[in-house]
Amino acid sequence: MLTTARALGGEVVACVAGPASLAESMQALSFDRIIHWQVAEDLPAEVCAAEIAARAIREAPQAVLASDAASARVILGQAAAALKAAIVASVRSLARKDGRIIVSRATAEGKVLEDIAVPGAAAVIYDGDDMDAPAAVTAATETIPVTSGQMKVVETLAAAEGAGLLTALRVIGVGMGLGSKENLSAVEELATALNAAIACTLPVCNDMRWLADHNVVGSSHSQIAPDLYIAAGISGAPNHLSGVRDAKITVAVNNDPEARIFKFCDYGIVGDMHEIVPALTAALQ
Amino acid sequence: MKAAVVFKCTRNPVDAKVKLDGTVSWEGVKLAATDDDPAAMQIAKAIAGSDEIIAISIGDGDPAWAAARGAARTILVADAYAEAEASRTGALLAACVRRAPELEVVVLGDSSWDFALVSALIGQLGWPALAGVTAAEPAPEGLKVTRKVGNIRQVLTVAVPVVLAAAAGEEEKNPPGMRDILQARKKPLEKLKAADLDPALSAAETVGFRYPDTPSARLIDGKDPQAACVELLAALRADGAL
Ligand SMILES: Cc1cc2nc3c(=O)[nH]c(=O)nc-3n(C[C@H](O)[C@H](O)[C@H](O)COP(=O)(O)OP(=O)(O)OC[C@H]3O[C@@H](n4cnc5c(N)ncnc54)[C@H](O)[C@@H]3O)c2cc1C
Ligand SMILES: Cc1cc2nc3c(=O)[nH]c(=O)nc-3n(C[C@H](O)[C@H](O)[C@H](O)COP(=O)(O)OP(=O)(O)OC[C@H]3O[C@@H](n4cnc5c(N)ncnc54)[C@H](O)[C@@H]3O)c2cc1C
Repeated sequence: MLTTARALGGEVVACVAGPASLAESMQALSFDRIIHWQVAEDLPAEVCAAEIAARAIREAPQAVLASDAASARVILGQAAAALKAAIVASVRSLARKDGRIIVSRATAEGKVLEDIAVPGAAAVIYDGDDMDAPAAVTAATETIPVTSGQMKVVETLAAAEGAGLLTALRVIGVGMGLGSKENLSAVEELATALNAAIACTLPVCNDMRWLADHNVVGSSHSQIAPDLYIAAGISGAPNHLSGVRDAKITVAVNNDPEARIFKFCDYGIVGDMHEIVPALTAALQ
Repeated sequence: MKAAVVFKCTRNPVDAKVKLDGTVSWEGVKLAATDDDPAAMQIAKAIAGSDEIIAISIGDGDPAWAAARGAARTILVADAYAEAEASRTGALLAACVRRAPELEVVVLGDSSWDFALVSALIGQLGWPALAGVTAAEPAPEGLKVTRKVGNIRQVLTVAVPVVLAAAAGEEEKNPPGMRDILQARKKPLEKLKAADLDPALSAAETVGFRYPDTPSARLIDGKDPQAACVELLAALRADGAL
């Protein structure tokens, strides 16, 4: 996000709404300035939205970038309206041309980038990669305590931790291509050989009951960020892939060469998972 | 509690036609209910209790979608269409909400089909808002809302007025049958013109399309499973993933 903002030139200011630890992690990045709304523990970041929007008018940025985190999107909306800014999602990069900002966003399921020219300010939901931008010096930080608001967090429930899935460094995900519950044993053998946890798609749990709810990965379930994710017999629906987008390396095994997942992985084996999975176990031993 | 549900305001990315020259065409594509719209409807019902739900939409999709799911009446800006830049659509929807000053809660689907629309409506309405919402019910403070942030679920109390962006956990369970759909078409439908609500057009314009330069996946033929696996493992070791 920071690198993308830098492309426009000028100062890049981090607006951080959250605990002190979040501001500290931003200090490790090369922002020019940090404004930290230090939100009390029992308040959500959204309570700062109006205040951040008012501050945005004073700061008058050319562009405001937010992640697609739920709270960041709410804050972005208020800031965009305050700045009368254009608002675009799925944004990959920003550039300046002939006095306008060119916002590049992914469209048609990420197949194409669309360049949108914006005459005034741009408010964008950034969906590209985060590149390392370590700080040489710690940016000046202005801290604004936030102690009250019209919303309050009354309870926080951690996800049911299923067999170390959330913290596993290697994960094998299985989809409907598994075919039957009996075929799970081959996947379990590969998981043992790889020291990996097992995840699955929603229908594998909800429709087939081959695995449990805490195994499901995706938009409505667990989000994981392993070093290696092997997706076997998974078509690659957006609802599933958004749960593994932070995986470092993704491998897909699918017998359909046209499967959507092959557009979103690093390596793919076009083949029958019932042959590939045991062969992979054997090759590891 | 007085609630509105905003539905069918986005295009399904699957419907986009990519032409040979890389340009994208949405010709003939109707706005569609997202995976999250049914959840928005469920949440609006839980909040409204015995009060009527007002439905708000734009464009040329089926205007009775929400009415078939329990909304009492529908406001439609039929000549508006979803745009890549969402501020105008947000302004039109906010103008519809303001026509019903009794409204305390606006619920819409929190869809990744176009996150910009959610942010735009929130900003144009200027109400406090929460996204990623999975459940809500009336409470002494206003509402008790559950939402998902990453792997955590938060329960919050919020004052009204508020905008809730609802995230579905699965497919719609009991879609309405033919009878509900036919009856819904008899419910009041107020058709408005975009120019009467917000004459300002978006100043943003699409200036081009490009193919992304992300490297494509290295595909390995699995006809010989042993050889394919040896090749894959060598690549993963070279990447330091094993
Ligand atoms: C303004 C900003 C710019 C960043 N730029 C870079 C970068 O250039 N390179 C890099 O390597 N990493 C960058 N990061 C850090 C990286 O995106 C982190 O991974 C991310 O912030 C935390 O994501 P998460 O999924 O762990 O936590 P989440 O659950 O997404 O967020 C944790 C907390 O942070 C808040 N938060 C999330 N995003 C934002 C936001 N955009 N603004 C304010 N609060 C937010 C959430 O509301 C929540 O309270 C940036 C983060 C922020 C906040
Ligand atoms: C509101 C909502 C929320 C959702 N949330 C989630 C979520 O959080 N997580 C999630 O995963 N899904 C979620 N879904 C469901 C999601 O949209 C997809 O339906 C689901 O991810 C598809 O699962 P799949 O890939 O296993 O099945 P399919 O799409 O049926 O794909 C099966 C794949 O296996 C391949 N295959 C078949 N046989 C073999 C073989 N022998 N060898 C190799 N490959 C084979 C096929 O080519 C195909 O690509 C959600 C849906 C909705 C509506």
